[in-house]
Amino acid sequence: MTLRSCIHEKEVAGLLARGQYPQACTPELRTHVSSCHSCADLVLVTRAFQTARANTAPTGNLPSPGLLWWRAQLRRRNAAVERIGKPILGAQIFALAVGLVFAIGFAATQAKHGLRWLTWFDGISLDGISFDGLSRPSQLPQASALHLDALHPAALLSSSGGLLVLIPVLATVVLLGGVAVYFASEKSNENEPR
Amino acid sequence: MPMPWESVLPNLLAGDAPHAAELPMDNDAFAGFYSRSARPLWAYLARVSGDPALADDLMQESYVRFLCAAHPALIALEGEVAARRYLFRIATNLMRDHWRRPHSTSIEELPEEFFAASASSEQADSQAVLGPALAQMRPLDRQLLWLAHAEGYSHREIAEVTGLASASIRLLLFRARRKIAKLLQNQSQPQMLVDKRDETSRSESARALSQRSQS
Repeated sequence: MTLRSCIHEKEVAGLLARGQYPQACTPELRTHVSSCHSCADLVLVTRAFQTARANTAPTGNLPSPGLLWWRAQLRRRNAAVERIGKPILGAQIFALAVGLVFAIGFAATQAKHGLRWLTWFDGISLDGISFDGLSRPSQLPQASALHLDALHPAALLSSSGGLLVLIPVLATVVLLGGVAVYFASEKSNENEPR
Repeated sequence: MPMPWESVLPNLLAGDAPHAAELPMDNDAFAGFYSRSARPLWAYLARVSGDPALADDLMQESYVRFLCAAHPALIALEGEVAARRYLFRIATNLMRDHWRRPHSTSIEELPEEFFAASASSEQADSQAVLGPALAQMRPLDRQLLWLAHAEGYSHREIAEVTGLASASIRLLLFRARRKIAKLLQNQSQPQMLVDKRDETSRSESARALSQRSQS
């Protein structure tokens, strides 16, 4: 299809857009429109669309602008809350994952060494404590007194395989990891185009 | 420096979050803009989609998205014309998304206005003239024709609204106009024949009446 446009098309389009066709049209232009296929099409189509627009526009049931304004504000606020909640959730998931990894690792190591640290509890039993209302000193021959030495870190380290060191380290790693993830995702959210 | 979330959250919940406060217009300015742009936008959506109920939904969604997405600087710098173009762009994209989505409409889902008679004869006339012709056009052609001939947008503005290249708009519009002009002419020719037939029958009956009265 060849794209041939008439030199008068712009003039006719301008008159149609201003609603001045055919009143403000020169007789020469009117004669031209009746003979030019392209201009005649332009007049026919533009008039049909302008009439349709004028007749259709008043028929719509429009909601109040206040309602739309309120909905937009609500949506924007929800999006902002979601944006803020995303890094927190990420940090929580990361902390949980790191915690789980450490816990599984710890459990695996302990299982390998036959749960030696459980013996530590035997060392801190008190003399004469009743279990289920029954005094059982005979059943606890080695735990007849509180051994304060058992609470010494060196003793604990030796008995629990570094349990007291491991727990704070683990907690610090989890905490710092969570904070790092939070700040990283916060920064990436800031750089995202809105 | 990232903003600590503890300082933002209370503001958010109190309702004056920095993002929420960044709506591109205040309530009064939006009401004015809405009153000037809502009806043309609804007419565009209703005529191009051919479904008034869908036009209602898409129009509401367009305004909400416009308020959420438009930057205050756009309106401050370029004014209402640019804001209006942006609104039409959102509506065009929403309509395109709707057509892309696979869906089936059952008879229960159709709006009542779909079956009801038109309110005025003028409306019915314009619907009768343009409706069947528009229905035979492709959705993109309908969009282009409406934006060019009903809204009076230039090729550059139509390119901005539709996201197409300005050069291709010219060709697409030329083809679409030629096609719809042919359809409108074909429609008007049988209508003219009917009108002519009515006129001749009316004049014949008038002649017969006058002859009867004379005799």
